[in-house]
Amino acid sequence: MTGGLQRLASTIVLVGFSFLLTALVLWTSGYGVGDVFSGTIQGAITATGAATSTVRWAIPLLLIGLGVVIGFRAGFFNIGGQGQFYMGACAALVVSLGWRGGPATLVILCGTAAAIIAGSAWSLLPGYLRVRFGTDEVLTTLMMNFIGALVLQYLTAGPMRNPSGTGQTAASERIPEAFRITDSSGVSATVLLLVGGVAVLVWLLLERTRFGLTMTLVGRNPTMARWQGIDVRRVGLVTFGLSGALAGLAGAVELHGPGARLVTGFSPEVGFTAVVVALVGLLSVWGTVVAAIFFGGLQSAILFLPIVTDLPPPALVLLHGMVAFLVTVKFRSARRRRAPLVPEALAD
Amino acid sequence: MTVPSGPAPAAVPAVRCRSLGVSFGAVRALHDVSLDLGPGRIHALVGQNGAGKTTLAKVLGGLQAPDSGDVHVAGRKLPSGDVRAARAAGLAMVHQHFSLPPSFTVAEALELSAFRPTGRPVYRRAELRRRWQSAAAEMGGEAVLSTRVRDLPVETRQSLEIVRALATDARIVILDEPTALLTPAAIDTLFERLRRLRDDGVTVLVVLHKLREVAAVADTVSVLRDGELVLGPSEMSEVSQGRLSDAIVGPASEADRAVGVETTADGGRRTLLELVRVSSRESAFEPGLRSIDLSVETREIVGVAGVEGNGQRSLVSVIAGLGAVVEGSVVLGGTEMTRAPPARRRQRGLRLVPFDRNSEGISRVAPVWLNQSALRLIGWRQRRLPLISLRYYKRQAAEAMDHWQVRYDSVTQPAESLSGGNVQRLILSREMAPGLEVLVAAQPTRGLDFSATNFVRRSLRRLRDSGAGVLLVSSDLDELFELSDRLLVMYGGSIVARFEAPYDRRAVGDAMTGALR
Repeated sequence: MTGGLQRLASTIVLVGFSFLLTALVLWTSGYGVGDVFSGTIQGAITATGAATSTVRWAIPLLLIGLGVVIGFRAGFFNIGGQGQFYMGACAALVVSLGWRGGPATLVILCGTAAAIIAGSAWSLLPGYLRVRFGTDEVLTTLMMNFIGALVLQYLTAGPMRNPSGTGQTAASERIPEAFRITDSSGVSATVLLLVGGVAVLVWLLLERTRFGLTMTLVGRNPTMARWQGIDVRRVGLVTFGLSGALAGLAGAVELHGPGARLVTGFSPEVGFTAVVVALVGLLSVWGTVVAAIFFGGLQSAILFLPIVTDLPPPALVLLHGMVAFLVTVKFRSARRRRAPLVPEALAD
Repeated sequence: MTVPSGPAPAAVPAVRCRSLGVSFGAVRALHDVSLDLGPGRIHALVGQNGAGKTTLAKVLGGLQAPDSGDVHVAGRKLPSGDVRAARAAGLAMVHQHFSLPPSFTVAEALELSAFRPTGRPVYRRAELRRRWQSAAAEMGGEAVLSTRVRDLPVETRQSLEIVRALATDARIVILDEPTALLTPAAIDTLFERLRRLRDDGVTVLVVLHKLREVAAVADTVSVLRDGELVLGPSEMSEVSQGRLSDAIVGPASEADRAVGVETTADGGRRTLLELVRVSSRESAFEPGLRSIDLSVETREIVGVAGVEGNGQRSLVSVIAGLGAVVEGSVVLGGTEMTRAPPARRRQRGLRLVPFDRNSEGISRVAPVWLNQSALRLIGWRQRRLPLISLRYYKRQAAEAMDHWQVRYDSVTQPAESLSGGNVQRLILSREMAPGLEVLVAAQPTRGLDFSATNFVRRSLRRLRDSGAGVLLVSSDLDELFELSDRLLVMYGGSIVARFEAPYDRRAVGDAMTGALR
């Protein structure tokens, strides 16, 4: 389909353009552009452990990003991934620390289930407000992020605090080693299977089920969907629930995987980057997989670069920001051309 | 109607186009169209859906740059595809689709598009209201200046679009299918306005569908067919009705194939849909239903006549399950369904052709196959496997659309790329799928061209003959008289009269205007 190819091409051009702009800024600031980019390649792919690190960072981006894709399919903009991610991690932490003596497999399963429930609950509240009163979900999901961050802070600085911790930021106690599904690299066969399985399931849901088609129809024209007998509110709630569940799952993977404990304000941008990942991935499942690996690589490179160059760590975040900015501009202009979402159809 | 004795032959035409050509990809929208429009006259432009009328109107209004040819206004060449230049040259355009910002109030929308704004950067609501009071009064209905555009019913929105264009000091006004959404009374008002404009020396080009309307208002008529000008501009007095329809339809027009409809109705006579003393809450622009009694049986078309805004929308919403019933009961296929969700009613064989096909009937941005398959998404034919085959869905959609003679290029094209008649065929192809018991058709032919209108009417009749029940809500009396086995008239949310064929146009008209009460 030429429309799809065109969108793909324009996204690639856009990412390339971001690289150019970043190079320009770095060059005018007097850094060796060549060094920086070769360092980026090293940090993302070639250096020891770099590829693993790329995958490690791609995992939460992918899970949360898929949640964003699901939301968009039904016409909702869930940018509350950060808060839902935190709530998922917190729920898994409470289960793991509260049931230290439990059998490992069971605790991990319960922790993950709790994380999924917490993540979807954090998303269902704005979802309910949206379908019942027509409250703009962009605003509410964004605001819920701050509450989620405070809940995390409360737990790590309060009841779950590690009293012997010496770091400057408060952190929780570590969960028992047996409760982890990866080592500190954050990558293991279990996690890869899990994430790959989730991606396939999301793809099947969106592209090969009637519910997926229903979501598409609701996203394209809720008024028409109502006339066709579709329960638009229920579809909206399920969509919000699924979207938050994936972010919650990402939180569980983080805790049971590389984290093992929670630090106040950890991974502070992952939820927002995930929105960009979904947009760069053209809101398709496989596109999001590719975009997640790309941004995972960037994240890995950001951590690696200070080792090989004199570049201050925030400099590469610039590239990140460029892509986010350009993608948003492109997305906004594309969205304006689309039929507007009719809020009355949802709010009755 | 008096036709002024035409301008002197030597007069410069108000609008002259020379060999205009426009193509969209492989589709030739206009081909070598040359047209002179004399000043101070009403020119009608007719043709079937997809004949190029809207494209021509857009080229004249500067919204579409032609691939070849040019447009002259009062002897001066217009830069192609330049809206500002067209406006500056005195051209104003009334679009087929709404163009005013939905969140503006009526007064703000009028002010926005005025040629001479108040001149101050800050405005006061009261002042705007004074300024536009008379213009809004011409819209008719209960339009209020402080109402937001999005809250207006379609009819009033359409009138507002016209008022807006006429409120500018245009010398040439182009109206693209302005009557498509208007009630007969509003059409008369509109035509009266057009005549007044003409008498003031304004040149009017109006795209019309119905020959009766052309005869009522036009001085000259031009016919487009497949992008080519096949007739005109000819003086109305010199063209016979027969020649006009021949020009529109073209030689040897393909006879529409018979379209069969499968229903589950058997031989016996049953009541398929029954409303018993149903009342509903009033909406912003319509009275609620007041104790409506109504039934539709097998093998009949029940017509609902009425001036728009007398509760017809409430009626259709209540039957669809989208409007709240305050009192009374709705019975579908013998089952009480007053509080049943829309999906259950659909499962009982209720099918709907909604009022506004572009917003309620289809999703404009979704692909045609998904629009066609929408009814399959309700879970009443659950299969064991939750997974579906898109290929199967697309093939089924393509088969149904071919059966209903929808003209499309590919099942994945967005529905908005279809013409109005084809959108309605798409909706019919979906709603008339097997399982249908009773069809509620709201204004099913509004805005459609001759052949699409005939197609829809034939389909409804065939549906009735195959045993289904049809509730036909329409403001077109000819259509109602032609199709209905029984006719109900709504006024102020009640059914004020019931008629059986043969119908007395006068009596029905009296009932519609409330003269019976």
